[in-house]
Order: sequence, then structure tokens, then C-alpha cells
Amino acid sequence: MVLKIIGAEDGVAERIEAAIRGAIPDAQVQVKAGGAAHFELQVVAEAFRGKSMVQQHQLVYGAIAELMAGGAPPVHAIDRLVTKAP
Amino acid sequence: MLNDETRRQIDSLIASDRVVLFMKGNRSQPQCGFSATVVQILGELVPEFTTVDVLADPAIRDGIKAYSSWPTIPQLYVGGEFVGGCDIVREMYGSGELYEKLGAEKPALVVPVLHVSDAAAKFLGDAAARAGQQLHMRIDNAFQTKAYLGPVEAGEIAAEASGLTFHFDRASAARADGLRIDYVETPHGHDLAIENPNAPPAVHAMDAPSLKALMDSGRAYHLFDVRTPEERATASIPQAKLLDPPTLAAAEKLPKDALIVLHCHHGGRSAQAAEHFRQLGFRNVHNLVGGIDAWSQLVDSSVPRY
Repeated sequence: MVLKIIGAEDGVAERIEAAIRGAIPDAQVQVKAGGAAHFELQVVAEAFRGKSMVQQHQLVYGAIAELMAGGAPPVHAIDRLVTKAP
Repeated sequence: MLNDETRRQIDSLIASDRVVLFMKGNRSQPQCGFSATVVQILGELVPEFTTVDVLADPAIRDGIKAYSSWPTIPQLYVGGEFVGGCDIVREMYGSGELYEKLGAEKPALVVPVLHVSDAAAKFLGDAAARAGQQLHMRIDNAFQTKAYLGPVEAGEIAAEASGLTFHFDRASAARADGLRIDYVETPHGHDLAIENPNAPPAVHAMDAPSLKALMDSGRAYHLFDVRTPEERATASIPQAKLLDPPTLAAAEKLPKDALIVLHCHHGGRSAQAAEHFRQLGFRNVHNLVGGIDAWSQLVDSSVPRY
């Protein structure tokens, strides 16, 4: 579910959601755009059960790594990341 | 985006030490605030750790992000395991978890007794109320003290005084017991005046005749010369040891109550060196006032002046 997009390039929030669901198929993803290329994410997934917070965050960051790589990536920063098991 | 060569290079960097920090800059000159915070926290908990400056190598800078599945620098590895970035390290430090992870001795759990003057309580209370935030104090291992406003973090210890609540991380709380906080007029306007009975005492000034008396007394002391080898060849006090890097490393391992005297040419450079020892926790540090120049005028005229 894409909540709102302010100052972000078109479709980036959808790409973030798609990338996360590609890596974690059952994930429920909320993307909230902050400033330019800044986002806040909330991800709920069964795959997080039994994992530490760092491991949960690594799953998400690993999924969107390509969107954050390179000189002027579509995603510059994740200002807030909340992960939990359902 | 992470080729085999970079992966192997990162593998071996992580295996090279128990504690490895990927950061911007190095331990003495961090190039970003987040890296500086982690360096400072680690420095308090472990004497030695390895840093890797990602600014020096773009392949490592991009590679470590993919390697760890973590998008930001700094990144801390302990025993080959990824621990986290700045926020996580700070949180684990506050909660005490980081001490266990690093095998460092946890400071005792102390709720410090604070003495806060009415003027200081009014100033701090007003500031906190205006910002709608909580009061915190942080005291680092050099006893540099900072008061700041912010939300309460996990593991913080709360201490009440003069109707206010102060929040401390565990290490700061242990260093804060007996702290006196006043609000005073200074040449630059009003400011907090903080007195900490746990801080190592200031560097003492020792004049040349007192140093001579100390030498003649038979008491144990360590006299270090912080000048260059060239200056030492020109004029020297025979009992002084040149503070070259190996001597410095050995001196830093002396007992913290050892009587240490430092000298240079006129007393300026040795004052800085003395401050360095004080900040390491040495409690009996002296600076020779006027340096070797005063020594040759007041005690031993056979030492040439230059």
C-alpha cells in the first residue's frame, strides 16, 4: 500500500514495494515518502519470526539494495524502518 | 555489485581483528558524525579495535553495503558477526548489551546523587519545558560533560534532583555520582558550571626547585621529556626519558596513581602532554613550569640554554 508521495520520483515507492515483495513474498509493505528520495517503511512478514531486529532489517535492506546503489539512486535514505512478524 | 575479489577482501578485513569498524575517516579523525559517535563508544569499551576507512576505497565503500545488506556507514563487526550501524550501537551501549557483546566490564549500576543549584534547576527546567523534551547528561571517559535535551532512550538511568529528572546512559551514571551543577555568570554570559568529584584532578604545576627536591627525596617518579631528539641533544635533564612512541606506549600502561612529571623547553608542549595523561585517568600528573629553561636558570646552570 502506497500512502503518499511527496517530492519523490514517480513510481519509486511502488518499486520499493515490489522489490521487498520479490524477496519476502508474504510481506505487507507500507511505504511513506519523506523528502526527495527519503522514505519510511513498515514491513510485516512471517519471515521475520525468530530473527533479531538487525537480521529483519538486513532482509529488507538486501531486497532494496539495487534501488539504493550508484551515484544518484532513486532511494537515497530510509529514514525509518519498522519490521515485525504478524 | 559485489564482485568476488571485493568480497574476499572484506572477508579478510573482518577476520583481521575481533572488533572491526567500517567507517568514514579513522579513529583519530572521523569524517562524519555517525562514525565519530561509534568510535567514541568503542574507545570507551575496548582498548584496541581495527577501523577501515571506506572513503579510501570506493570498492569497499559500495561493497560493504551489499556484503552486510546494510545501506549506511558506519558498520560494526564483532567476532566476524555484523552488529549494526550507529543507532544500534548507541542503543546497545545505552542498554548495556554492547558490554557483553564486546566482553567489556560493565560499569556498576548507579543511580547518581546530584546536587543542582536553584539557578541551574530553573535554567534546565525551563529549557526542557520549552522544548517539551527530557534532560540528559553524558559524561565521556575523559570526563567531558554534556547536557542535552531529547527523548528517553532504552536502558537509561533516571536520577532526580531539585524537582528535575536527569537521564544518563549506564557509563555516564557511574561517573556522575556526586555531580554538582550550578548556573553562573561568566565573561561570555551565563553558563552551567559542573563539578565532578570523580574526575581526575587537574594537572599540577611543578616548579624547577620542587622537581629537584623530588629527585633528592628518593620517592618514585617518572620524568618524561616531550621535546624532539635534536633539542635533547642540545640540552637535557639526565633523569628525564625522551617520550618517543615506545616510551609513550609504556608510560600509558603505568599505574594510574604513578607520579608523572613532563617537561619540554618552556612548558607549553608538556602541558598538552600532561593533559593527555590526565584524560587517560592519571591522577598525579605534573608539568614542569618554565621547562628545561627554568631548570637551567634555577637548578642546574650546567644545562645549556637555547
